[in-house]
Amino acid sequence: MKIGLEIHVQLPTRSKMFCACPTEEAEAPNAHVCPVCLGMPGSRPVLNMRALECGIALAKLLGCEVAETTWFSRKTYFYPDMCKSVQITQYDHPVGTNGSYALDGGKRVRIARIQLEEDPGKTKRVGDQSSLIDYNRSGIPLAEIVTEPDLSSPAEAREFLKRLIGDIRHALGLRDDGERSIRCDCNISVGSERCEVKNVTGLRNVERALAFEAVRQTKVLRSGGKVVRETRRFDEERGVTISVRKKEMEADYGYIDEPDLGIFHIKEMAGRVSVGESPQAMAARLSAEYGMGEKAARQLVSSSVGLAALFEELAEAAGAEAAKSWIGEIGSHWKRAEERGADRAEIVRIVSEAAAGGMNDVEARMALRAHMTGEEPQCAEGARPDLDAVILGYIDSDPGILDEIRKNGRASNRIIGHAVKATGGAFSSSEIVSAVGRIVAERLG
Amino acid sequence: MSPDRLAEINARYHMFSAISPEIPEDAGFLFSAKDNLTSAGMETKCGSRILEGYVPVFDAAAIERMKAAGGALVGKTNMDEFGFGTFSVNSAFGVPLNPFDPERSCGGSSGGSACAAAVLEGHVSLGVSTGGSVSCPASFCGVYGLTPTYGRVSRHGLIDYGNSLDKVGLLSADAPVLGRRLAEISGRDPRDPTSCAQPELSLSGKRISSVAAPEEALRGVSGAVGEAFKASLDRIRESGADVETISMPSLRYAIPAYYVIATCEASTNLARYVGMRYGRQDGDLSLGFDDYFASFRTEYFGDEAKRRILLGTYARMAGFRDRYYAKALRVRAHIIESYKEAFGRFDAVATPTMPFIAPRFSEISAMSPVDSFAADFLTVPPNLAGIPHLSVPCGYSEGMPIGLHVSTDHWREDLLASFAEDWSESFKAERAGVGQ
Repeated sequence: MKIGLEIHVQLPTRSKMFCACPTEEAEAPNAHVCPVCLGMPGSRPVLNMRALECGIALAKLLGCEVAETTWFSRKTYFYPDMCKSVQITQYDHPVGTNGSYALDGGKRVRIARIQLEEDPGKTKRVGDQSSLIDYNRSGIPLAEIVTEPDLSSPAEAREFLKRLIGDIRHALGLRDDGERSIRCDCNISVGSERCEVKNVTGLRNVERALAFEAVRQTKVLRSGGKVVRETRRFDEERGVTISVRKKEMEADYGYIDEPDLGIFHIKEMAGRVSVGESPQAMAARLSAEYGMGEKAARQLVSSSVGLAALFEELAEAAGAEAAKSWIGEIGSHWKRAEERGADRAEIVRIVSEAAAGGMNDVEARMALRAHMTGEEPQCAEGARPDLDAVILGYIDSDPGILDEIRKNGRASNRIIGHAVKATGGAFSSSEIVSAVGRIVAERLG
Repeated sequence: MSPDRLAEINARYHMFSAISPEIPEDAGFLFSAKDNLTSAGMETKCGSRILEGYVPVFDAAAIERMKAAGGALVGKTNMDEFGFGTFSVNSAFGVPLNPFDPERSCGGSSGGSACAAAVLEGHVSLGVSTGGSVSCPASFCGVYGLTPTYGRVSRHGLIDYGNSLDKVGLLSADAPVLGRRLAEISGRDPRDPTSCAQPELSLSGKRISSVAAPEEALRGVSGAVGEAFKASLDRIRESGADVETISMPSLRYAIPAYYVIATCEASTNLARYVGMRYGRQDGDLSLGFDDYFASFRTEYFGDEAKRRILLGTYARMAGFRDRYYAKALRVRAHIIESYKEAFGRFDAVATPTMPFIAPRFSEISAMSPVDSFAADFLTVPPNLAGIPHLSVPCGYSEGMPIGLHVSTDHWREDLLASFAEDWSESFKAERAGVGQ
């Protein structure tokens, strides 16, 4: 069974894709509209650059190649909620291509492309004979993520979507407005011909629609029939898919370039847009790339993304086996080391040396502990911060403290507290108390 | 000029599709605008029945800027439906008549604008050119017509024919007006991103000092036009500029490439006219939406609009797209290169504007669509390349004006403005004898 998805994600911009109308919920139908998103003659689109940035961020999140130049196309079709009878979308040169996304167990789902496009309005049927159109949604920016047919079951499709949406929300800072906001076109084939179930809303419905289609196609094939290539829709109430149009009736959208928007050279912009790897993706990747157990990988990432990143540096420098055997020891001192701002390069150096046989495990463990916690007495004097400078710095920043100490000697505890924190355990408390006492006495004369 | 007086003149020439109900007496100057430029509160129909009753909520940028410069909009000028034509006979609202001979065409598609410029004293009209729609009627009506570089004047409020080709231009019998008004209507406008890449227009008075005349331009033009053109080149030489004959063989591919690109874009632009939201909306609501849309488009688009929708839709179909649309884009790039090469050596390229004088309506009805497409072979190349161009009156035959066409490099409207002024001093153009 082969399943491919086209997932529509609304991008978190404040105004619409090609005009200044707000994207927030409107108080009434057709309240957030203007000549542009109503397609009035003589109006023309102006791209909201934030939508392009979001598209680039998604492309990076999904490991796509980000285009150096991207542009928009016109997709022509007639439907009442598409006000220009032309949708501005991407065709030739979408913002991202050739990405992939990992599932649990390391399976990769290839991402064919990510394209930006505008949403049409909404049609609302009122009775048998008439419909009302609300153009508030017209021109809302969307990203469409198109996967290759790499999913192999409805349950897997649901799992994929769930993780993907979680990561996208994390990366773009989308609020979690429930699964209803996810719209998908689902392509599925059990044999050699595929059907497309259009516009399915929500994770659960995606799984239901695909499961129904899988059974339907299997039955057709078992009874000696042929699956016809067609577009279907999902009836949520009855849980069935219904044929909408056959292949030969499929629209030819007659794509041409959108001349009003021009060509966007986004190489520089793409350099500025950064997406942190999502925790889920990182865990999956560590597990796949370094042969680490999935559970261990998730634990590592969830304890600290920084620690997981250090793991990768270690694997790079000293090999995956050394990284795996030392990451536990390093993890036990991690919090301390982070607080102290201990140099990561030194950790990498110690592990590399141990892996190369330059020191034995006990020596390496001691060196790590000394470096990360600063507790080892042999640690070189020169590496310690200048305690006097820390204390003098504090007094200079808060000169009133000396008067307070004159009135009440215990006020010097503030300086001591600061020095303990600022030197991160490099000095014993008696060292600090005596240094503070000495300096305050000098200052008070 | 009172609206009543304008209505009287219009009854004779049909140059206006709408006349302003009030024309302020203290206006700095009077202007009209082609009816594919939106005018707030004033019906805008693009020569099409499908837009009957459409009253835009905003002024086109060019109209807005003319008003800001002290102009008063007196009317909207008649045109070929959505700009589809060379003779202004494809309008649903009457055909403008040539002021030199009412049996003949004003040219198109900005025919009403050229007619108004020829007939009304001190008038300037905003035209729009996609493939020569300013130059052609300027030539046929014996006035000056300036089409600036693509992107020089904001297209905000221009009702699209071919978005990558459409340009707002100016027509007037008074040459110095062109540069002055161009300076007022040009400039960047965030509402039209394609206007935002332009360098500033500087009318420094620089003059054209060298002119190339492509030999291909004289093939297929009438004897009288050829003579007038040669005499014009002599006049240019006398003014001190070098004139040289060159070869630009790629120009012959401009017509097919232009019609593919223009109709592809047009067929998508016209998709929005379905009898919903604006214009006529009085169809049979018991029909399904597809049938409702189809019935409207069948009823209210004219034949030429339908022809171009079909042509354009065909040329962008999957399977044909590469053969037609994608190839036409490559031809266009090639033609731009040929011009760049010519402008490396010359300030301007000159040709006749139209291959013949304004034809009689009886001659036009005998032409095939391909004949009338071919009539644009001299005005289409600079339009396809997006370079600025100017038509000036340069001679007369059978009492009808002939036009000289001058093109310069992108953004060099300054050379055209000074050329128009110099030309108007040395060449005394005849005003249409009628209608004063």
